[in-house]
Amino acid sequence: MLSVMEIYQLTPKTNCKKCGLPTCMAFAVALLGKEKKVNDCPPLMEEAKYQAKREKLMEAMAPIEGASETGLIIHEDKCYGCGNCVVACPVNVANDPKGSALGFGPTNDKAILIVEDGIVKCLNVEECRRFGPNKILCNACTATCPSKAIEFV
Amino acid sequence: MMAICTGCSLLCEDIEVDFNEGKISTTKNLCRKGLGRYRSMYTERAIPRIDGREAGLDDAISRAAGLLKEAKRPLLFGWSNSTLEAQSAGLDLAQKLGAVIDDTSSFCQGELLEMVLKGELPSCTLDDVRNYADMIFYWGSDPSNSHPRHMSRFSYYPRGEKRQRGYDEDRRAYAIDVRLSPTASMMKEGFFKVAPGGDASFMESMLAALGGKIPRLQDKKKVIAMVNAMKRAEFGAIFPGLGLAYSMKGRMDILKRLVDGLNETSKFSVIPMVGHFNMRGFNQMLFEKTGFINRVSFADGVEHGPEESIIDASKSCDAALVIGSDPISALPGGLARSLAKIPTIVIDPHRTLTSELAQVTIPSALSGMEAGGSALRMDGVRIEFEPIVPENDLLPDLEILKRIAEAV
Amino acid sequence: MSLALSIVTVRDIFQSEVQEVGRFSPEYQKMSAIIILDKGDMLSMGITEGGRLIVESSSGSVVVAAKVDDQPHKGLAFMPNSPWSNQLVSEETGESRIPEYKSIQAEVSTTDAAITDLSEIIARMRE
Repeated sequence: MLSVMEIYQLTPKTNCKKCGLPTCMAFAVALLGKEKKVNDCPPLMEEAKYQAKREKLMEAMAPIEGASETGLIIHEDKCYGCGNCVVACPVNVANDPKGSALGFGPTNDKAILIVEDGIVKCLNVEECRRFGPNKILCNACTATCPSKAIEFV
Repeated sequence: MMAICTGCSLLCEDIEVDFNEGKISTTKNLCRKGLGRYRSMYTERAIPRIDGREAGLDDAISRAAGLLKEAKRPLLFGWSNSTLEAQSAGLDLAQKLGAVIDDTSSFCQGELLEMVLKGELPSCTLDDVRNYADMIFYWGSDPSNSHPRHMSRFSYYPRGEKRQRGYDEDRRAYAIDVRLSPTASMMKEGFFKVAPGGDASFMESMLAALGGKIPRLQDKKKVIAMVNAMKRAEFGAIFPGLGLAYSMKGRMDILKRLVDGLNETSKFSVIPMVGHFNMRGFNQMLFEKTGFINRVSFADGVEHGPEESIIDASKSCDAALVIGSDPISALPGGLARSLAKIPTIVIDPHRTLTSELAQVTIPSALSGMEAGGSALRMDGVRIEFEPIVPENDLLPDLEILKRIAEAV
Repeated sequence: MSLALSIVTVRDIFQSEVQEVGRFSPEYQKMSAIIILDKGDMLSMGITEGGRLIVESSSGSVVVAAKVDDQPHKGLAFMPNSPWSNQLVSEETGESRIPEYKSIQAEVSTTDAAITDLSEIIARMRE
């Protein structure tokens, strides 16, 4: 995932304000925060001289398009199905104290991470602590993954 | 329905499977390795063969019995993917034939398992680890890749009776390895890199620190800090993998000194990371019957030694029965070539490199899914299971062995 | 040019999964016939990922695909445990009768030869 500076380098850097924001840096931040899309910048979309930048930027932003509301992405081809995230997730622990909390597969349908066919799935993503008005930067699932299969953008 | 997985020696019992028109459609809680085991029900299944051509099952069993009867020094090898009941039948057959019997632990975790079974290394159950362990060591092991649910079901991430606050606050995990493996990458400050073959001197350094001396290693401060924490640990668990087993072969006395030293002030246990789902079962069973965990000959009383290992037997034996194992794939090429020269019978659910070269192949049911029985988890806990696909045309190992024994 | 390396065999969950399902499949070959080099070692061989290397030990040789990881391990390489890696392991096992699976001394050099096929390994068994 590109950093804010790397994204900024791919913008026109003219601060033309056509996207509704005061600077291209603000646009870069908004792109990362999923508040703006690449096609909200008319010069990038319309001017030939920015074609290379536009293509690179769209490629970079593609994973974010696939991310859930919390910014969670699961790379299925990398997932070990190890269940570390299932057992470490504080929501799973709170909602399934006799199951996931103790290392078992989820025993009720309040779990938000489960392993199906060897790959982790995220259900009820609104329950994730990174979601909603009281969101916190919980990283239990990403920090416990052996292969970076689960990550936040 | 609920099911068990025989993909590794964790023997996970919380697997859920759904069927659609007789085939498994979805599963829950299986790791990738276990999923592979389950999917293998439908691929590369062995068929009865004699001398490379498809044959009838009864004929294949007859021919197998004939080959074993004719042999002067038959070898019965494999066993770690068979149930306790089948292993017991295998032992009976070995005694009847005066054969050499050996299992995969012979070139795997045999040395460490023997020390545990003899009481030279203290051990415990995986449930004890989950409930009580506050210091965990993955030594020359990479459970993320070998026993994927090890850390989430037992050793690091779950809560336990005395570890209610989970891994972040109640446990400290360390990985000692030649590389930053996927498991090691999750250890935060707990990773120690050792050179290949350098585990013995790393242990000597730890022993020095344990005795209040300065360790002779680069990262002295880190080693001293770790050893001091170990002295104060409430319950330590060491999980040696093949990395440690191979690095320290023949020198496990150093590990014993370390564990004994630690147990003077705290409580440390060792659970060797055996691979196949019932390797420990075979070793324990043979140990109870003969006092040895592997490498036994019944040709003249009970003999045990290097000559009875698969390494020697692949050259000195004149027939081999290979059950649930693929030594042609697993042995060094030169030794595999020697084994390939002797008449071989393979009993396996799948087509393997060994079965490709065998004189007789007898297809068997997959333990855990198509055949039931019992097995010992890597920590010695006995797990019993029923098949989830009981109606099938395949014979369990136990039945095949009984029929061979009747015919010899 | 050739490079002297010490090879350690390792477990890989995805390769294990494919081993269960398709020991004879091209997928298994692709995931097994590889050697993971240190970045600097890879550069010194003048090849890129996927380039073919012939790996020779005193016991045998195989042609595999080069891979690279981002950990520093100059002089050390990793191979998943497989029939390919086992062609390189010595028959000498000493008193312990345990082969040196995790300490394989080998020379690697670039090659145009094709990756050693599993059928070739099986054929060698029949010699």
